[in-house]
Amino acid sequence: MFNNSSKILFITVMIIGTLITVTSNSWLGAWMGLEINLLSFIPLLSDNNNLTSTESSLKYFLTQALASTVLLFSVILLMLKNNFNNEVNESFTSMMIMSSLLLKSGAAPFHFWFPNMMEGLNWMNSLLLMTWQKIAPLMLISYLNIKELLLISVILSVIVGAIGGLNQTSLRKLMSFSSINHLGWMLSSLMISESIWLVYFLFYSFLSFILTFMFNIFKLFHLNQLFSWFINSKILKFTLFMNFLSLGGLPPFLGFLPKWLVIQQLTSCNQYFLLTAMMMSTLITLFFYLRICYSAFMLNYFENNWMMTLNMNNFNMNLYLILTFFSIFGLILISLFFFML
Amino acid sequence: MLKIILFLVFLLPVCFINNMYWMVQIMLFFISFIFLLMNNFMNYWSEISYFLGCDMLSYGLVLLSLWICSLMLMASESVNKYNNYKNLFLLNIVVLLILLILTFSSMSLFMFYLFFESSLIPTLFLILGWGYQPERLQAGVYLLFYTLLVSLPMLIGIFYVMNKTGSMNFYLMNNFMFNYDLLYFCLLCAFLVKMPMFLVHLWLPKAHVEAPVSGSMILAGIMLKLGGYGLLRVISFIQLMNLKYSFVWISISLVGGVLVSLVCLRQTDLKSLIAYSSVAHMGIVLSGLLTMTYWGLSGSYTLMIAHGLCSSGLFCLANVSYERLGSRSLLINKGMLNFMPSMSLWWFLLSSANMAAPPTLNLLGEISLLNSIVSWSWVSMIMLSLLSFFSAAYTLYLYSFSQHGKLFSGVYAFSGGKIREYLLMLLHWLPLNLLILKGESCMLWL
Repeated sequence: MFNNSSKILFITVMIIGTLITVTSNSWLGAWMGLEINLLSFIPLLSDNNNLTSTESSLKYFLTQALASTVLLFSVILLMLKNNFNNEVNESFTSMMIMSSLLLKSGAAPFHFWFPNMMEGLNWMNSLLLMTWQKIAPLMLISYLNIKELLLISVILSVIVGAIGGLNQTSLRKLMSFSSINHLGWMLSSLMISESIWLVYFLFYSFLSFILTFMFNIFKLFHLNQLFSWFINSKILKFTLFMNFLSLGGLPPFLGFLPKWLVIQQLTSCNQYFLLTAMMMSTLITLFFYLRICYSAFMLNYFENNWMMTLNMNNFNMNLYLILTFFSIFGLILISLFFFML
Repeated sequence: MLKIILFLVFLLPVCFINNMYWMVQIMLFFISFIFLLMNNFMNYWSEISYFLGCDMLSYGLVLLSLWICSLMLMASESVNKYNNYKNLFLLNIVVLLILLILTFSSMSLFMFYLFFESSLIPTLFLILGWGYQPERLQAGVYLLFYTLLVSLPMLIGIFYVMNKTGSMNFYLMNNFMFNYDLLYFCLLCAFLVKMPMFLVHLWLPKAHVEAPVSGSMILAGIMLKLGGYGLLRVISFIQLMNLKYSFVWISISLVGGVLVSLVCLRQTDLKSLIAYSSVAHMGIVLSGLLTMTYWGLSGSYTLMIAHGLCSSGLFCLANVSYERLGSRSLLINKGMLNFMPSMSLWWFLLSSANMAAPPTLNLLGEISLLNSIVSWSWVSMIMLSLLSFFSAAYTLYLYSFSQHGKLFSGVYAFSGGKIREYLLMLLHWLPLNLLILKGESCMLWL
């Protein structure tokens, strides 16, 4: 990736596009940033050797272009209302903006493009799609002040993310549904405070980076590959897959921390119904995470004689083990520091 | 408390050294004895360090965890012998022990919750990693999801309590009283499932049947007690609601206890029988606890300690037979008196403890529990008498069916009991019968 100068260019422009969006002080500027981001992400997706990624980039372009058009349209409506005193319904415009942004981020009622598109990408692009591409739309959503649609979207996202992943065998689809579920949590944290959203987003990015990194190195795309995949030792595999439990938000791991913050904030705002829906659906996501982990946690199972042994190179292994250490013991370390304060 | 935790934390690297299995095991015994000396019979929090402390209630259970975990290592010698990922096994058990001690000695409700949940993970690993059949996947999923489904609402409840009281400290929270139904159900249900109460007990027999001996020991010995411990802690600030609803749980547990005892009588699987018998015993503990009488609270604590030792010992015995015969079926495990007469003595002693025969701690616990439940309502005498009768019946069934009769003819040859196994049984049985001489350490913690 880093040998390709055009990719470096497009990554830089993609980052700049997001930065333009989050720093702009007008809706038009935000829209412009989104477009720059979109148009530089498309070439990143394309791959000469792989036809599916082209299809994905087309899907991405169509949905995002639709969302941007609607966004531009409603921004113009806003301008007509504010600058020319036209009689435009306020809630209509903000509803339009909100829907277009939800479409851009891939939140639930508008999520259908997301798993389909992920299916065609390679892992690093999937990672970008799951994490970086969410920043701009989510920041814009935090500017809006419309709770009903956001609430519906949160509940739908967590439920769709949970139910959708149940019957999947493709790891990319599983990760994309888990991303939709986490997006629900992020949207709900946006309703309360941006700093908690930031924490949640950072932790989610960290955890999904670890997993995507592993899948990328070993070229894992389907569940059945995990059973016939063998790295240096079983214990190592066991340790690596504990990252999934961390992503699922089980208590002793790092992934519990952002969930803990969101739960605590939502209880203090008396959002009990929302919280219950979110937690129950997260339980279901935990089920499919656990399904991915079976091959690692069952130390003894029937193995093929032709197990594929892949070894990481030393640098990757060390990096990976350090990251995994933080993902597993992070919660304990953080609370240790908290108590030391 | 921190010295215990740090000792165990520094034991973690030792787990990775080869041939350190017995070293770790001895170290766990060592720390158990150190902890034994830390007893000062205080009914208030003592040994406070960091967010940890222990009063008499915590003390007994922490000691029980230390004791059971060291016995777990002693019982799963086969992991060491066949090198079934023994380093990971040691690590897993030491981590589990650390989490359990943190659970029992946390002074704040949230910390308690955090470690309560965390201790589930190593147990899950134990079942999935070292279990025998492929069905262990299902058992693991049952274990995880039964517990998580109810404990996540408890998390919401805990945060609600925190917003209202402004504190999570058990000692300070006793000054509050909540009169709120939903909160009551949120806080209680997690512990009822963990206990487990009849109707939500299905995960337990499954988990026991699939778990290796160490998994069964920790499940019966400690994990079930987490539920009782949690109830003893939270019941103080939801007692008003408990007065209103406790009859539901008590009725379910008592009737369920009788039904489960009947189920026990027709089991052919040794482990499954012992698992169901612990559901029945936990039913009595639960009903005694929820009467909220002095006798009930003391008795439930006593029986929890007693049951932890006794059922863990029975699981060890089942494993001793299993390792020799390769089966847990009662149709194959019969006539063991002919082959291992000395082991039969231990079967007898631990079975008699299970049916609460005189010199054991179980008797003390059951007497006070019966007292409290009968004083709560005399109608419960019907179920209690059936429960006591059947618990004696199925334990006798377990003992006589496995020890008496003709030996299974398909058995070719196997070794007799080893010193390690006799020591293992002794260390289960001895505290059970010695503690009654110092009964106030279990009865007068309140």
